[in-house]
Amino acid sequence: MTEEKSTLEIIAPTVEEAVERGLDQLGLPRDAVDVEILDTGSRGVFGLGGRQARVRLTFGFSKTEAAEMRRDVEEELFATGAPPKTALTLDEEDRSLKLTTMVVRDLLERMKVRAKVSASYLQPADPKEAPTVMVDIQGNDLSILIGRRSETINALQYITNLIVGKELGRWVPVLIDVQGYRTRRERQLRAMAHRLAEQVVQTGRPQVLEPMPANERRTIHLELRDHPLVKTESVGEDPNRKVTILLKK
Amino acid sequence: MKELIEYIALSLVDDATQVQVKQEKIGNKVRLELKVAREDMGRVIGKSGKVATAMRVLLRVAAAREGKQANLEIAEPR
Repeated sequence: MTEEKSTLEIIAPTVEEAVERGLDQLGLPRDAVDVEILDTGSRGVFGLGGRQARVRLTFGFSKTEAAEMRRDVEEELFATGAPPKTALTLDEEDRSLKLTTMVVRDLLERMKVRAKVSASYLQPADPKEAPTVMVDIQGNDLSILIGRRSETINALQYITNLIVGKELGRWVPVLIDVQGYRTRRERQLRAMAHRLAEQVVQTGRPQVLEPMPANERRTIHLELRDHPLVKTESVGEDPNRKVTILLKK
Repeated sequence: MKELIEYIALSLVDDATQVQVKQEKIGNKVRLELKVAREDMGRVIGKSGKVATAMRVLLRVAAAREGKQANLEIAEPR
């Protein structure tokens, strides 16, 4: 087996900067790594006594794959002198959309799930990031496609990402949503984060959340990143990794 | 079920000629065995078995649609 799980720890003034630096070093897109926030850092008072943010990036590619991807990205960047987004022609964008739609349709058909599939491009706020393909699945009774703790939708998204990446020869992040589930869930998670943070502040006791997949844990970490009184940590191993909300010292 | 695993495997491997999926039914249990070229093992298993796990999750849905339980094994190539 050439597969390897590698990690990289980065320290920077803010979590966002740390993640960005790490991705720059690796030459990988955001979606290719799992981001774990080890320390959100703090600004301190008047710039005094602040702690730096610490993140750990886990990237799940074999070394050769990572090297290949880095080379691809570099080639795109240096060959055109422009970020990858603008390096894509309309034809290429069109092709990735069609291909992604087709892959998801093929998978669903073979899973005996009848649904409507459409895809669109989501331009990232940061032009340095690659544009994401958003896939929308609509139909009746699709709870089977979400699964316990989003297990099925995440598996479908993961496999689709691999197939599309392999087919196009470059990494194109694909995000799959079923009946607006992800958007709803994210709103729910944010509200829950604040509710539980409030409880932690009132009782002084840490709150341990139910186990969640990485993307959901990230939503909680980000939501409470700037909270003045509490901090968040992830504890345990996947698939039982849980977010804990606790008082800042 | 077999078609699903075949489709995913064929899309991920470099050597499509070595992809083989066998399907065995015993009552409502279905046993699938996937074989790929040695060099492609990593592609269908993934880091800490992530690809294999995802395939099993999708297979479970496909099987449930037919009221069955399925099991996927990835066999070592000879």
